[in-house]
Amino acid sequence: MTVIDILFRVDEICKKYDKYDPEKQREANAFLDDAFARLYSLVEADIEKALAVRFLFSYPFLFLFSFQTLIFQINYWNKMQKSDKVSTEKNRAAAVALSAEIRRIKARLMEEVPKLQKLAKKKVKGLSKEDHETRFDMVLALPDRIKAIPDGSTAAASESGGWGTSSSNKKIKFDSSEERFGSDFYQQTEESDQFRQEYEMRKMKQDEGLDVISEGLDTLKNIALDMNEEIDRQVPLMDEIETKVDKTTSDIRKNNVRLKKTITQIRSSRNFCIDIILLCIILGIAFYLYNALK
Amino acid sequence: MSSSDPNKLISKADKLTKLSLTRWSADWKSATLLYEQAANGFRVSKDYEKAKLAFEKASKGQEMLASPWDAAKHMESAAALAKELRNWTEVIDFYRRASELYMQCDRPQPASDSLAKAARALEDALPDDAVQLYTDACVILEDDGKEQMAFDLYRAAASVYVKLEKFTDAATFLLRLGLAADKCNARNSQCKVYLSAIIVYLYAHDLKQAEKCYNDCSQIDAFLRSDQNRCASKLLSAYTEGDVEEIKRVAQSSTISNLDNVIIKLARKLPTGDVAELKEEAAKGEEEALDENDLT
Repeated sequence: MTVIDILFRVDEICKKYDKYDPEKQREANAFLDDAFARLYSLVEADIEKALAVRFLFSYPFLFLFSFQTLIFQINYWNKMQKSDKVSTEKNRAAAVALSAEIRRIKARLMEEVPKLQKLAKKKVKGLSKEDHETRFDMVLALPDRIKAIPDGSTAAASESGGWGTSSSNKKIKFDSSEERFGSDFYQQTEESDQFRQEYEMRKMKQDEGLDVISEGLDTLKNIALDMNEEIDRQVPLMDEIETKVDKTTSDIRKNNVRLKKTITQIRSSRNFCIDIILLCIILGIAFYLYNALK
Repeated sequence: MSSSDPNKLISKADKLTKLSLTRWSADWKSATLLYEQAANGFRVSKDYEKAKLAFEKASKGQEMLASPWDAAKHMESAAALAKELRNWTEVIDFYRRASELYMQCDRPQPASDSLAKAARALEDALPDDAVQLYTDACVILEDDGKEQMAFDLYRAAASVYVKLEKFTDAATFLLRLGLAADKCNARNSQCKVYLSAIIVYLYAHDLKQAEKCYNDCSQIDAFLRSDQNRCASKLLSAYTEGDVEEIKRVAQSSTISNLDNVIIKLARKLPTGDVAELKEEAAKGEEEALDENDLT
């Protein structure tokens, strides 16, 4: 048998024989006799639950801790409203739903408070006078405690003391949600103001740069158009040059041909042979004469 | 031969050309040759007067030899020397003669070129004659169908007019330039010219004329779609508003800075005179119209 099994069995047995537990009976009897005490304990339990729910939502992993640490954490967390806000921003929709739930609980508890007050006034046997007065004080303190349960609307007010803006009836939900927007909204614009300023500065700088670029582009466009026109002007001139050059080349070719013809005529091979033969004949005659004279 | 004294050459050439009992016909060929050599010699020795004379004679010789091209060339050289001597009437004469000779060769472009050279030389001394020469040069080119070459000439003529402060004439010339540009499909030049004309009218403090000009130009599609049109309308509206700051701002804009230098100078000097008074005039005109309506 494991330890867990033993524990469960023990719990079961205790529950069964609770009626024989003297301390618990005393408490139960006390509560039975005292409607006030009973109601009060219920109200307290509800408050704790509301706080726990609120807390649980913010720190879900802490659900595993014991009840004592839970209470301690709740008290600690009550002081840390600001940090809570940051985390709630992350899951806003869920926060809204949860806050509505808490508000509902608070409203119900507020209804119970007048009943408690009536009961407190009643004289109960077995209670001393001091106890009676303390009960009254406790009842008076209850509304404060109930109101102190944060549901998103009292965050800003809690810094000033916990009352503040929640003077309006909690049953009407519109007001609180508006207030909640009001306080959140204000905080946001402080940051976004800076951002907006920076944005405006950057935009101005960009505008200046773009102006410079546009002027440069204007100049480029003008230069390009002028170049275009200049080239258009050159086109007919080029055509003229082309025709003239064509004519000149054909003239030169014609002349070359004629020249070639003339030269070949002058230096034809027939003439050349005739020249050589005549030259040989002359040399022969000269040789003959030379021989004859010798 | 070229190293000998140019004077001697000239006298020799003269002798060749002069008709006398021994010589029945002048020997132009050798004479022209001698004249050319003499002229070159004179030019080298910077004796402009004699060189000019020699060139004249050489040109005449070439004419006699039936080569107007060479004749024209010599005439041009003579005219350039006359410019050095600042003998303006001679400059005009020589350049005109040269242009005529070029036309004889059937070459209108060099003809207009020579007239343009003449005009440029005369811009400072005799501006009216200069403008006349520019106009003649443009006419020659337009007859030949080469309007594109005429752009520069028109622009120069308009700037001369502006210098003379004859603004209406300047504007007229610019519009003629616009016409030439239109024929060549040179949209950018055309639009620039129209804007320049409007600016010239405004500088002459003639708002009505400027507006009329603007309306005329708006008929033309190319102008209507251009940057220059927008600039012109801005300028005119600034004038009708009487807003001096706006006028100055438009005048500094890049569209106007792309125009001719002379026009930019005018634009920077806008607004001339009292813009408010122009506005009053315009308003008065409108009021009168209203009164008439009321009476009827």
